[in-house]
Amino acid sequence: MLNIQNLSKTYANGVQALKSVNLNIPKGMFGLLGPNGAGKSSLMRTLATLQEADSGSAQLDEIDVLKDKDAVRRVLGYLPQDFGVYPKVSAEDLLDHFAALKGFVQSGERKQVVEALLNQVNLWAVRKQKLGGFSGGMRQRFGIAQALIGSPRLVIVDEPTAGLDPEERNRFLNLLGEIGEQVVVILSTHIVEDVTDLCPQMAIINQGEVLLSGEPLEAIRSVEGRVWRKTVAKDQLDVLRAQMKVLSTRLVGGRPVVHVMADSNPGEGFEPISAGLEDVYFGELSRHRAKAA
Amino acid sequence: MFLEFLKFDLRFQWRSPLLWIGIGVFALFAFAATTSDAVQIGGSIGNVHRNAPFVIIQFLNVFTILGLFISGAFVGGALLRDFEMNTSELFFSKPIGAKSYLLGRFSAGVLVSMLIYFGVALALMLGAAMPWIDAARLGPFSLGPFVYGLAVFVLPNLIFSAALIMLFAALTRSILGVYLAILAFFVLWAVAGTFTRDLDNLWVAALADPFGARALNLTARYWTAEERNTLLPGMSGYVLANRALWLTVASVLMVATLRLFRTQRLGTGKPWFKRKAKPAEIANLKAPMARIVRTPAPSGAMGSLRQYWKQTRFDTWHVLKSVPFQIMVAFGLMNLIGTLEGSAPMYDTPLYPVTAQMLQSIQGSYAFLLIFVVMFYAGELVWRERSARLDGVIDAFPVPNWVPLAAKASALLVVVVLFFLVGALWCMGYQLLQGFTRLEPMLYLVGLAIPAVTFVLIGWLSIVFQVITHHKFVGYLLTIGIVLSQIVLGVLDFDHNLVNFASAPQTPYSDMNGFGHFLGGWAWFQSYWTLFTLAALLVAAAFWVRGTPEPFRHRISVARTRLRGGAGYALLGTVAATLGLAGFILYNTTVLNPYRAGDKQLDLQADYEKAWRKIEDELQPKIIAADAQVDIFPAERRVRIEGKYRVKNKHATPLDKMTVFLDPEFAVQELRPMGAKQTLEDRPNGMHVFTFDTPLAAGAEFEFPFTIEVSHQGFTNSGAPNSINLNGTFFNNGGFFPQFGYNQRVEIVDRNERRDRGLSPPRRMPKLDEAPRTETYISDDGDWIDFASTVCTSPDQIAMAPGYLKREWTENNRRCFRYEMDAPILPFWAYLSADWEVKKDRWNDVAIEIYYDAKHPYNVDRMIEATKKSLDYFTKNFGPYQHRQFRILEFPNYETFAQSFPNTIPYSEAIGFIANVDAEDAVDYVFYVTAHELAHQWWAHQVIGADAQGATIMSETMSQYSALMVMEQEYGPERMRKFLKYELDGYLRGRSGEILEELPLKQVESEQGYVHYRKGSLVMYRLKDEIGADAINLAMRNYIAKVKFQEPPYTVSTEFLAELRAVAPADKQQLITDLFERISFFDNRLVDAKARKLPDDRYEVTVTWQAAKKESDGIGKETDVAIDDQIDIGIFARPDGVGEDKEKVLYLAKHRIDKNAGELKFTVDELPYDAGIDPYNKLIDRVSSDNRKRVSVEG
Repeated sequence: MLNIQNLSKTYANGVQALKSVNLNIPKGMFGLLGPNGAGKSSLMRTLATLQEADSGSAQLDEIDVLKDKDAVRRVLGYLPQDFGVYPKVSAEDLLDHFAALKGFVQSGERKQVVEALLNQVNLWAVRKQKLGGFSGGMRQRFGIAQALIGSPRLVIVDEPTAGLDPEERNRFLNLLGEIGEQVVVILSTHIVEDVTDLCPQMAIINQGEVLLSGEPLEAIRSVEGRVWRKTVAKDQLDVLRAQMKVLSTRLVGGRPVVHVMADSNPGEGFEPISAGLEDVYFGELSRHRAKAA
Repeated sequence: MFLEFLKFDLRFQWRSPLLWIGIGVFALFAFAATTSDAVQIGGSIGNVHRNAPFVIIQFLNVFTILGLFISGAFVGGALLRDFEMNTSELFFSKPIGAKSYLLGRFSAGVLVSMLIYFGVALALMLGAAMPWIDAARLGPFSLGPFVYGLAVFVLPNLIFSAALIMLFAALTRSILGVYLAILAFFVLWAVAGTFTRDLDNLWVAALADPFGARALNLTARYWTAEERNTLLPGMSGYVLANRALWLTVASVLMVATLRLFRTQRLGTGKPWFKRKAKPAEIANLKAPMARIVRTPAPSGAMGSLRQYWKQTRFDTWHVLKSVPFQIMVAFGLMNLIGTLEGSAPMYDTPLYPVTAQMLQSIQGSYAFLLIFVVMFYAGELVWRERSARLDGVIDAFPVPNWVPLAAKASALLVVVVLFFLVGALWCMGYQLLQGFTRLEPMLYLVGLAIPAVTFVLIGWLSIVFQVITHHKFVGYLLTIGIVLSQIVLGVLDFDHNLVNFASAPQTPYSDMNGFGHFLGGWAWFQSYWTLFTLAALLVAAAFWVRGTPEPFRHRISVARTRLRGGAGYALLGTVAATLGLAGFILYNTTVLNPYRAGDKQLDLQADYEKAWRKIEDELQPKIIAADAQVDIFPAERRVRIEGKYRVKNKHATPLDKMTVFLDPEFAVQELRPMGAKQTLEDRPNGMHVFTFDTPLAAGAEFEFPFTIEVSHQGFTNSGAPNSINLNGTFFNNGGFFPQFGYNQRVEIVDRNERRDRGLSPPRRMPKLDEAPRTETYISDDGDWIDFASTVCTSPDQIAMAPGYLKREWTENNRRCFRYEMDAPILPFWAYLSADWEVKKDRWNDVAIEIYYDAKHPYNVDRMIEATKKSLDYFTKNFGPYQHRQFRILEFPNYETFAQSFPNTIPYSEAIGFIANVDAEDAVDYVFYVTAHELAHQWWAHQVIGADAQGATIMSETMSQYSALMVMEQEYGPERMRKFLKYELDGYLRGRSGEILEELPLKQVESEQGYVHYRKGSLVMYRLKDEIGADAINLAMRNYIAKVKFQEPPYTVSTEFLAELRAVAPADKQQLITDLFERISFFDNRLVDAKARKLPDDRYEVTVTWQAAKKESDGIGKETDVAIDDQIDIGIFARPDGVGEDKEKVLYLAKHRIDKNAGELKFTVDELPYDAGIDPYNKLIDRVSSDNRKRVSVEG
């Protein structure tokens, strides 16, 4: 469906946001994982026709994404990270306005679309309310409603679950999951579970480079049996970091628990655990950092 | 804590570029203003020095008004910084007091703003020291005025505006609130201005101005040049009260801010209005199920158009619904109603609410808000998506690039149109409420479309700036730059409308002439500017930012790509059309019509004087008869004159040549004096020298035929009205007919402009005792002449010239009239042509005819009434009327005067035809003007002064006196008092604007209207009060009998004074000296008035007074002189809350006042209200308001 080749972008301030990115994204949910500033948004904005690339190409079926912007915009649904609304306009009015911009210039048809979408994202009841009074989750659902106007073939959602409470997050991901059955949905996030839960395909990117792409399960399989866990004392942490490849440290009940990657048991007190996507993610990041250093 | 905030903020502001830009711009402006004539603030004219204390103080003060925006940024911005940057919670979670936070930032803002004014002061000092400044226009340097201005005006103004801005910032927590505060401030200021028109409201006006500018102006309003050059306004009276009031208001505002300021987030406090927040999400209602629809196929241009239309509506609603816009409309409407109610341009007498008047009020008090609207909303709309962080969503929709830009431009257009529509409806409502039913919707349409175009274009250009710079602040700055350039280019004499954005020739409206021919030139210019702006919008469309903003270099290449194809061709086409129009306009404004920047015109005048003044003493023959066939073609705006003078050598010696002057711009000029040949033609200067074949013997006469054609083709740059119009042509012989000899009227009058061009000081009238008295002060071309004329015009108009109508006929579809005078007249005649209504009446054997426009019937009967009453009084007291006819002819309001020609009075539609003199407290100036002009038939057309100082006494002062007497008969002495108060105010203000030298009435020069009209009224009325009207009328009758229709030598003012002195008793001779031969003033004051109740229920009143008499020289230096005058002392009764005009006189008599202070005791019958020395202001008193005082009653 979406084929990205050698896509590069350097900003005016010298930051290289994308370094020859190659990705092949099939129909369905595609997770884009990476830390803050990895280049996820740059990639998505480029695909959403909001930003020019320096070189490379992107092809959505028959459409050249970088050149034929208008064609892309007709089949695109885009939910930017941290978008705003006009606080004094009602959900229905703004969605109606968006639908007109999307190309629904006949008002009868537009009305149908708006009603259906409000219904789909469960905002029908509050459609007359001013957007300024919406909660974060409602606003995010409004965002997805506007992204779905006109049944897009390519849906791009940038960090959609940041700041949502668990219940809203679930509701939102379910909504995404339903759509993902027919079209390409690119979901960028730094929350690993989002990808694990939803995406049959994924890529990890950092500092503008694709570190890994493929199926999450396969990625997990590749580190299976190599991840170890131990609860340690705080003053031991530095020693451990110097000695072995520490993936992550987190506090459990106030005491540090480390995950370490090693082909065999790295030492006393470590126990093998079944790996998660998070371990893959941290593993890739630390490998990349080591390479860069 | 306070100090920490103060120091932090001072450091912060010190590093902000805004401060340094502000200091730079203001200092530069100040420097430019003191070192060139391009920018004029502070009234440094004539004898007032460029660095006079008054000029400096006024300058600093005016700058505080402009600097409001700067304070808004430094104070408002500082307070809102934390809310806008989201740092507020970092601050308010610390243990700080709101007081030190607010006051710290407030003080820093005020201190930093003060820096800007130090910069201005420095620039003013520096400017005055520049070597090219004319030393004659500088006074000695003094630090005083700077210190005074900064301390008394600038600092309190800054504190007040900062306090106001702080309150609004704290309450609204938005920069919008601050912006509104500034706007409110301006409106407040403008409204206060309308009060000054009402003379009784001086205190209100002085206090209502938060900047103190009006308090300053009122304090110095009667100051002479000398006083402006030396005095500081001091800390008393208006200034002290104003400063105290507004500093108090400022502290109240500050206390209020401290009370109302909340550190919590918005929306977490108690609501202002009890409104229950709805629960965010209510139970799922059944929603209609609908199938998911795919994006429709691109629907091409039609679809884009629909998107454009939807976006336009969306953005228009956004503006209409936004609070600032609504507040601005509300402000505007309130301001408009204030203006409509207060609209009384002359003598506080209102006008009928005709539509033209409504349009003027909309332009003056409502439309100006649009400059803020279009500037502000251009920014708002362009940045609307980005500031709502919706650009990511919107920019990814399949909408062509041109749609959002076009929609936003259209939204601004719609907003401007609606804004005017609301104003027009408001005014129509006002007209109906006033019972005025002749609504003229079409006139509103055209009259408001004219300003609307300008505002729309400024708004569009503002959009272009916002888009291309992609920086809101820079965009605003550029727009402000354009608005300022419109003003600055004008004063820099760089005033061709082709280079001054959105400017066009003026389009004056007259009920008689409509928009006349002016609309054409306006339309060409505005088409040019519209195309120019469209081209700029096309460029902006190419630069429209979609998605992530890229560096400008990259945007240029994107723009290039976008301009390939259709858009590029459209741009090329628009630019080509703009240039084509520019060419057409240049052809019209510089080839068909002359274009001269202001200075260029003065240079030409100087050239004329340098080349020809040398012949001014050469003798010229005189006109003894004139006859002309004058063809007026109103529709073509063309006049053709076939004229013939009979000319005579009235001198004792033969003449071998004569010089004729004719305006060089006339299309046809053929001069054919019989028996003479043209020996020199200086066409650029309009001078033609003819040499007689044989010298013209003394007493010899000859015929002088000539053909002249004056025509106006195309349109001009200024659109300044001239005398030939579609309806309402009015010109006189001075402009259109050949004149003899050197033409003094071409000379530059301004002393400084003359000096710059190496000319001698301005010409003055010949001195009384040196004047040759060989010619009258109005013409040197002839004495009394025989006059007749034929005048033809289009068939729908009447054409008019002095004289009696002998014949009226139609030939070649032209309406012709033959007028002949039966008695000699001065060489001063006029032609008029218009489509008039006529009303006729008679007084004895005199036919009275009023020619007026059909829209202006209101005061016609009153004019007839005034004519009859005046004829009664004048014929009885002065002598017979020399004509059998009296005609008043209305002409368009491009000029605002009435002028008396023999038996014919052209009378501007602006000065009386629409005055509502029946309104309460109105001064019937229609009656007054009519009487005055009729009086000129005696005082100018029978008695005419020689060309010497004092000549205008015999025309203007006498006509003022004559009109006053008729008015007093009609309305009684009480109403006269009100009229005379205006005259006193007019005189005192006039003398403080004198640019040469004030002269005593006896020597008044013809340009000194404030002396011969205003002081003339006061002098004659005072004299009448002292010696009686009968005595004066006797003197005038004697005088007129001696000098009427005299040949040279002509009479001078001393001859009239001799007649006056002859009828005045011995003890009034000194009074005549004071009134006519000196510039003398009184400074009288009632110090105290106490009353004590007597056992018999009467009251004993003790009055303490001060009196002083001063004499002034020509530039206002005063010296005390001994007082010995008869002055009224009065005691009055009236209930509280009742006006002075309803008071009862308890005591009123003249007392001999021969010392500077004293005490008098009276017994009166009733409880006194107030007492006064010269209570009716009959004397010329510099401060007339302290002549009365409330009586305090003991016990």
